[in-house]
Amino acid sequence: MTIKAFLAQFRLLFIVLALGAVLAMIYPRFLTASNLMNVLWSVCVIAIMCTGAIYTPITGGIDLSVGSVAAIASIVVNHLMNVMGMPMWPSLLITLVIGTVIGLVNGVVVAKFKVTGFIVTMAAKTYLFGLAMLISNGAMIGIYEPKAFLFIGTGRVLGIPVPVYIMLVITVLSHFLLKNTVFGRQVIAVGANDVTAKLSGVDPDRTRMIAYSISSFTATLAGIILASLTQQAYAVAAQGYEFNVIIALVVGGTSLLGGSGSVFGALLGAILVGFIDNGLNLMNVPSAYHPIVTGLVILGALILNTGVERPKWLKLPARPTKIVTRVEPHPGD
Amino acid sequence: MMANIESQASSILLECHKITKSYSGVVVLREVDFSLKHAEIHALVGENGAGKSTLIKVITGVTPRDSGTIVFDGHDLPVDHTKAAALNLGIGVIYQELSLIPGLTVAQNIFLTREPLLPGIGLINYKKMNADAQALIDKYKFPLKATSPIESLSIAHRQLVEILKALSGNAKLIIMDEPTSTLTSSETTLLFEIIRQLKASGVTVVYISHRMEEVYALSDRVTVLRDGKLVTVLEKEQISPAEIIRLMIGRTLTADETKRAMSRKNGKPVLEVKGLTSVGRFYEISFSLAKGEILGIAGLVGSGRTEVVRAIFGIDPFNTGEVLLNGKPYKPSVSRAIASGFGLVPEDRRQQGIMAIIPMTKNIGVTNLDTISKVSWVSGRKEMALCHLGIDLLKIRPKNPDINVGNLSGGNQQKVVVGKWLVRNLKVLIIDEPTAGIDIGAKDELYETIQRLAREGVSVICVSSDLPELTRLVDRIIVLREGRIVKEFAEGHVTEEDVLKASSGILEGGNHDN
Repeated sequence: MTIKAFLAQFRLLFIVLALGAVLAMIYPRFLTASNLMNVLWSVCVIAIMCTGAIYTPITGGIDLSVGSVAAIASIVVNHLMNVMGMPMWPSLLITLVIGTVIGLVNGVVVAKFKVTGFIVTMAAKTYLFGLAMLISNGAMIGIYEPKAFLFIGTGRVLGIPVPVYIMLVITVLSHFLLKNTVFGRQVIAVGANDVTAKLSGVDPDRTRMIAYSISSFTATLAGIILASLTQQAYAVAAQGYEFNVIIALVVGGTSLLGGSGSVFGALLGAILVGFIDNGLNLMNVPSAYHPIVTGLVILGALILNTGVERPKWLKLPARPTKIVTRVEPHPGD
Repeated sequence: MMANIESQASSILLECHKITKSYSGVVVLREVDFSLKHAEIHALVGENGAGKSTLIKVITGVTPRDSGTIVFDGHDLPVDHTKAAALNLGIGVIYQELSLIPGLTVAQNIFLTREPLLPGIGLINYKKMNADAQALIDKYKFPLKATSPIESLSIAHRQLVEILKALSGNAKLIIMDEPTSTLTSSETTLLFEIIRQLKASGVTVVYISHRMEEVYALSDRVTVLRDGKLVTVLEKEQISPAEIIRLMIGRTLTADETKRAMSRKNGKPVLEVKGLTSVGRFYEISFSLAKGEILGIAGLVGSGRTEVVRAIFGIDPFNTGEVLLNGKPYKPSVSRAIASGFGLVPEDRRQQGIMAIIPMTKNIGVTNLDTISKVSWVSGRKEMALCHLGIDLLKIRPKNPDINVGNLSGGNQQKVVVGKWLVRNLKVLIIDEPTAGIDIGAKDELYETIQRLAREGVSVICVSSDLPELTRLVDRIIVLREGRIVKEFAEGHVTEEDVLKASSGILEGGNHDN
């Protein structure tokens, strides 16, 4: 980690704490344990999505399907347990496998057919939503059984919600995956310059496929937790979550142009977005204004991020033709 | 001199007088005179770095000159005249990298930003635009259709569109920078016809090329530049390929740097290439590389030199032929190449060599993930140690492992690209244009590094279009031309002149071949 990135991370922590302090001063209710728990609870789903969704932007792609994946996960897990009568653990496992395969399909299309991730995952978002509507008949399905399943989202251990534990564990795991493994290095290399990465022995296609798979895996996990938390399986449940995820990632220092990102930063980003949302609630701001504020925050974060990180205009445009591999240099000319 | 100019005034189109230009203290053009007549084909030749491109940039208003005067068609061009001004006066340039927009048609490209409009409403009059474009095409009898999309055209035909674009702006002068480097021989023939046609219709063509036979076949006059200075202007009857090459190289061939005894390294070959063929790129390439040998691959742009080394490193597939590593059959692939001790420093540093937006540690780490990790867990300590090793081996400055590589100078970026291989247990280093675009000091350091590697037993393949570099650095040179090995310099003395002659197809004794 560069010193700059290190400082940037702590700057974000400082901003989050400052915002918390301001909210606490204006609204004493903010600091109450129950309110903070509420914030954490609402942050969990987004933060868990972020831990996996971070890999696609670092490779220079994006995953817009995480919301739909979460929705279909909630419907599939309920269908397996309460329609097909399967026990909980196999249902969870199968749901996670299905979700991961959806991501793998996205990754294969991106890597092998050279379609940009934006379009591929937009298509996935659409057809998964349709599929979710189809399986659930468009209905909001209440989940009341099994109790063990409901514990995943609503249970508490030592007074702290179970999803918070899941969030912390998976954040730490993802942090080490990105910072300390060969795969993490390959993701960064592919995003920084995939031609160089390839010539250095990295397989960009494989790396991208795994990145999209992980993104979908954590979205599925988040969807399961969401279903348990809200005791609902609903096709529109997590609609638009992909944008909250992108906001959290970008605010947390992940470059949408590839090559860099921070898992803890994304967690702070998710908490910041949660604080803003909670603050607006405490202020009794009508809900119509929430998206406006959140939208302006993403805009500001994007400007800060792209303007400083990597000027795109430094990159030369791609050659339209193949084969032609070089142009005679004129050193000194 | 002045009297001379005045007497010819009517036939002179462009008169550059004492043009001087320097970049950050390095003089690249020194009081260069350059003149063009109406309706002539004028070749501008010189080695890499002779100042050809800079002269063109000064004339076309891309770069301001430091001093000197330029008169074009009776107009004085100010020191800082712009590209647009030059274009308006009728100076058109066709660069190596074509500037056409692929999504648009031929007519749309020709009239880009100058589209004829429907009166009153400001919409483009496509009927008139297509008709005008077709009229222009027919006037010069080009094999094009105004409504064809650009992406359906070959490179050669795209060049024709570029030429039409210049002509539609009433160009009096068209400058072509190595137009044939990416063309096949039949396309080249077509281009020559068109250049002669342009001349017949009163347009002056400046032609930059490294291929002496083309210069010989086409030109009315030849201006030779060397080290930023005008050497001479040859008239039609004085033009001969051997003479041009002698003038381009110019120095007396005594010093070790220009003339060097080639010595075939004996011993067991590390790498053997037999009959390697990739249709359309290269054919029947065979050579062997001994331990500790530096093999040079020379040839012009498009001769297939880069394609050959890319195939050996496993980036592009080939059709037939085989590669042997230490006498055993070897099937190239990038990961196998790296695992077997190959390293590749690619020709295009920015696009293929560095990862500009991430730190040096990760740039060096990425080729060494196998050695710095255990069960896929990367040791940051080992990565840092490797990076410091690279910094020390190659004297990378600044010595900051956390700096993003894009923030280093060109020479230091290249050192990082070399360094990420050097810290490995390297057996064969393939290095393509090792010193393109880097300064003299860094060049010398890189040469020393390559020679030290060779002494330590690493075999090196060096692809280069820099002839002094080859003659200075390597033990043996093979010369590629149109995808085939046309010459090998393995024993005795070799000069830049010999290599250039072989590359451009003038073999043996300066006779003009084909």
